[in-house]
Amino acid sequence: MVAAETALAILRTRLSNPTFAHSHLKSSSESNYSKLKFIVSSSIAEACNNSVLLLGPRGSGKVAVAELVLEDLKAEHADEISVIRLNGLLHSDDNCALKEIARQLCLEHRLLFSKMASSDDNSQFMIDMLRECGLAHKTTIFVLDEFDLFTQGKQRLLYSLLDALQTLTSQAVVIGMSCRLDADQLLEKRVRSRFSNRKLLFIPPSADEMQRLIEHLLYLPKDSGLPTKFVTEFNSRLSNIISDKKFKEIVNSISAVDGTISNLLTFLFRAVSYMDVESGFLMMENFKSAELCMQKQPKIDCLQAGASVLDLYILVCMNRLEIKERNSYNFTSIMKEYKAIHDAYKTSDNYAFTVCLRAFEHLLDQELIGFVDSKGHNQSIDFRPVRLLISSRELYEGLKSNPLSPAILLKLFDHESYK
Amino acid sequence: MAATPQRSNPKPSPKTPNPSPALPPTPGTSSLRRSIRLLSSPKTPIPDSCPADRPKTPRSKRPLLPIPERFSPVTPNPPESKRRRRSAPEEPKKTRASGGAERRRVYYRKVVYDGGEFAVGDDVYVKRREGAESDAEDPEVEECRICFRVGEGVLIECDDCLGGFHLKCLKPRLRKVPEEDWICGFCAAEKTGKEVERPKPPEGKSLSRTAKEKLLSSDLWAARIESIWKEPDCIYRAKCRWYIIPEETAAGRQPHNLRRELYRTNEISDIEMESVLRHCFVMSPKDFKEASNAGDDVFYCEYEYDIHWHNFKRITDVDDDCEIVAAGKDEDWNISNDSGCDTDDDSEFEEERNMTFSAQKYKSHDMAANSRKGRIFGLQRIGIKKIPEYVRCHKQTDLEKAKATLLLATLPKSLPCRSKEMEEITAFIKGAICDDHCLGRCLYIHGVPGTGKTMCVLTVMRNLKAEVDNGTMRPYCFIEINGLKLASPENIYRSIYEALSGHRVGWKKALHHLNERFSDGVRVGKEDNQPIVLLIDELDLLLTRNQSVLYNILDWPTKPHSKLTVIGIANTMDLPEKLLPRISSRMGIQRLCFGPYNYKQLQEIVSSRLKGIDAFEEQAIEFASRKVAAMSGDARRVLEICKRAAELTDYRLKQCLQSTRHSCSVSNSAKGKDIVGMTDVEAAIQEVFQAPHIQIMKNSSRLGKIMLVAMVHELYKSGLTEITFEKLATVVLSLCYSNREALPGYDTLMKVGCKLGESRVILCEEGTKHRLQKLQLNFPSDDVAFALKDCSELPWLSKYL
Repeated sequence: MVAAETALAILRTRLSNPTFAHSHLKSSSESNYSKLKFIVSSSIAEACNNSVLLLGPRGSGKVAVAELVLEDLKAEHADEISVIRLNGLLHSDDNCALKEIARQLCLEHRLLFSKMASSDDNSQFMIDMLRECGLAHKTTIFVLDEFDLFTQGKQRLLYSLLDALQTLTSQAVVIGMSCRLDADQLLEKRVRSRFSNRKLLFIPPSADEMQRLIEHLLYLPKDSGLPTKFVTEFNSRLSNIISDKKFKEIVNSISAVDGTISNLLTFLFRAVSYMDVESGFLMMENFKSAELCMQKQPKIDCLQAGASVLDLYILVCMNRLEIKERNSYNFTSIMKEYKAIHDAYKTSDNYAFTVCLRAFEHLLDQELIGFVDSKGHNQSIDFRPVRLLISSRELYEGLKSNPLSPAILLKLFDHESYK
Repeated sequence: MAATPQRSNPKPSPKTPNPSPALPPTPGTSSLRRSIRLLSSPKTPIPDSCPADRPKTPRSKRPLLPIPERFSPVTPNPPESKRRRRSAPEEPKKTRASGGAERRRVYYRKVVYDGGEFAVGDDVYVKRREGAESDAEDPEVEECRICFRVGEGVLIECDDCLGGFHLKCLKPRLRKVPEEDWICGFCAAEKTGKEVERPKPPEGKSLSRTAKEKLLSSDLWAARIESIWKEPDCIYRAKCRWYIIPEETAAGRQPHNLRRELYRTNEISDIEMESVLRHCFVMSPKDFKEASNAGDDVFYCEYEYDIHWHNFKRITDVDDDCEIVAAGKDEDWNISNDSGCDTDDDSEFEEERNMTFSAQKYKSHDMAANSRKGRIFGLQRIGIKKIPEYVRCHKQTDLEKAKATLLLATLPKSLPCRSKEMEEITAFIKGAICDDHCLGRCLYIHGVPGTGKTMCVLTVMRNLKAEVDNGTMRPYCFIEINGLKLASPENIYRSIYEALSGHRVGWKKALHHLNERFSDGVRVGKEDNQPIVLLIDELDLLLTRNQSVLYNILDWPTKPHSKLTVIGIANTMDLPEKLLPRISSRMGIQRLCFGPYNYKQLQEIVSSRLKGIDAFEEQAIEFASRKVAAMSGDARRVLEICKRAAELTDYRLKQCLQSTRHSCSVSNSAKGKDIVGMTDVEAAIQEVFQAPHIQIMKNSSRLGKIMLVAMVHELYKSGLTEITFEKLATVVLSLCYSNREALPGYDTLMKVGCKLGESRVILCEEGTKHRLQKLQLNFPSDDVAFALKDCSELPWLSKYL
């Protein structure tokens, strides 16, 4: 029991820490870790400036690898590195970014920081500091997350940063990270000319690497203080699961959607969270339910379970209107259609106008339907043009599987669109 | 100014003037000059009193102005009786003059004291203890450590123990002084761990220590004189900045410290001239290398040591940097002092103002480091606690040397391929400066990035400055402004005004002052009359809506007395044409085009930097330059590519080394491939020029691939580049259905689509539009076909491409 709980805690800490997942790639010379580390450490040792871009889809571990490298280098050169972290989402404005740089530099070197300083002052300060740090053999590392967002506007920040790197006394590394592959093309000519165009591409792991990564993540270590018997039992059961064909299928279906490491970590975290503490071992079922969880289709689920009969009526009416090639329709015309159906088939589901309006608003909130344009807020809801946001196939599937849906609707749907 | 408490050693206190200092030891006037480090020690004694014999070192930071002949000393002669044995202060430099000198200090630039001539900026030995006997004897000649005799042939110095040895006393004898470092046999033996008995001096003769040895064993101090003055009571005092030996720093002596290394501290205190012994020479690394035979009192100083924070910092020529801003001030001070006719009130006022100014700096509420006022404040804290070993002890390989020279920051000694342009710029500036009444001087330089525009102008400026220093040209003022570094275009007024006057005001006020100065010819001081050269980099950034900034700046040169010359640099060739006619008529007349480099020039640039370093294959450089010349002609680009290639080679080599170390197997590729070849350059070029999308496509998830193929398929079928999500989903589902893939849900597909859109493999609208979302390929469909044609995971994809 206790052992199982500690094991669970260990696994959870590992899985929620992205740097751990990347640390097993450290040793290989082809890994981005060693390439990046070589670039940064050589520019520390040789007192030169460098700039490098880390490109790759979200979740491929750009930040994690950079953090890993910085951590290691900090351990190696304790006093000689100061790291300035900026994020494009927060500091895309040049003045604000310069201020943030000044703030972090002050913090790092225990200087007094003034909020009132103008941006000229701040940029001058940055250049001075780079010089001073260079003279003291200290390397300043700028980590720019969401690099593409810094390229909005005049790119003054990037220009002055990269231009400051052109002096001999400064000693700095700029690490940009972006999920946009064309991030370097976004730079202005003169900025790009100063950028040194190192690019490291982060690509999702292959199936083999994935396998090894899972083993690295889930096997319990021998020296964790857990009873050895438990650890061996746990690991042998796990290896049975991992070598299972079914497990491979699950992993394949997860990576078919998104093969990045962070997606895998989410999946494994879910699986571990389903672990039964009583038995204390990971089961195949845990992985299965985690997979189900990962492959939720919220819109169909909503149609299947959450939608009321009236909701379904409204959706079908809208679908009918679209099939009639009416590009623009609003709540009033939907009501007309609803009345028409009601009159033609004499259904029992006849609701008042206000009730229908409530259902309509409910659908709007769920974003199953939406307004065509975002403007015209002053118009009342019933006259604003709306569109269906789910495709007819989804609607059809939803109707089929919803136990509440009246037979007449399915018939109507069949009748109208698939014949 | 107060002596700092950190140094526990007693020091001549500035506060309490020593009532009866011991008679200053005479550095024996007839004693020998120092034994020369590598050459023979002179046999004939050279009188020390002759200052001309002293090796001149170019070490003083502020150039001493030549002492004007016409200048007659205005100091009232101090009463003769009070001067003890020292000779009269000769050539007093800065004086407060006229009456009441008894109460004031009199400043000198040069003083002859005890037979030695001391000037501001000189390095001297300073006595550590008052009247210590051992200080008095000051042998100026080093003895041989084996025969303990002076003279008699060439002495060679051990680089480790700094002892001198006769060439003939050594075993085996040395014929001549070796070129490289030399370590004596005793030190070499000690290093291998043997017990060594050094020869003892003959009976009755104690080994006398030279001043250098005393300094290095902390019995003496070294200091640099910052200023010399005479107190009202006729005691000569000096303010000096201490040097410190490595043992006295917090870090202690480190293995990489040179024997003759000193650190400059930031501690300054007042001493009496009494305690000054004589000159020593503390040199920067460059001077030290050159001064191979400048005597024994030569020391090496590369770092400054902060005694408060116990950290180190490299010393650079700070003067170079503040030149632009501070030049005006410095000049001002010197001129007013040199003129010799100011009243003492004036100079006193000057000093007082200085004092209050600096006091304000510290007392003002705004001591923050990033506001400019406090710029001096706090920056000294930055420094390293210990000089890292690799900085000193690292022997550079050829590749690393190549990397260092290929750095963009390293300025090449010469600029190849731009001589014509440089001549033109030089001629333009010379013409503008020498010609007094020329109007509207303005040069527009354009060219694509990385063609050396700014560098050329700056080099020309440096050359011209040398000419100014030689006196062959009139002095002028040079202001450099970068348009992209200004927060807003209007701030340029502020920058210009600040550079001219040293004051910081708002841009409106600055504009007003500048207008006054340039248009109306209002001059504040004499030095304002200098011609001004204004360099504006990235000129196009100064464009405002009504273009008033550009107009103002370009209008000033046309004013009769402005003496302003503007050099504008930008990328676009037709910038003047894009401007209002009244501006382009002022600017577009004289233009200079920096064309992109062709491959030969690029090759020359790279090889001129790599001269003497055997790291690159010839074809590799040519390949890189051809490639870049075809793309952009950007010199930065080709340098970066070469550097990257060197880095890749270095990386490969080091990995190789590691793997051989681990496995102890001799890898065949390790040898003979340590120069940068074609493959590395090719890889570097790939990295720079090739977009990584093909790799990303190849490695995208299964559904992502299917989606891309579906888009291509649909594009061929319909001919429309845009596709809505609903349509795309249908296509994907049908593809999956007919090829027995698991059918994905709509929401999953949406997620995949957004993922692809995020990395810009496809362009798509935001996901909230759901089925109405429009998607479009961002790369040619052929790229997708190329990437996914032979995909082992999904072989059926090629059917649809």
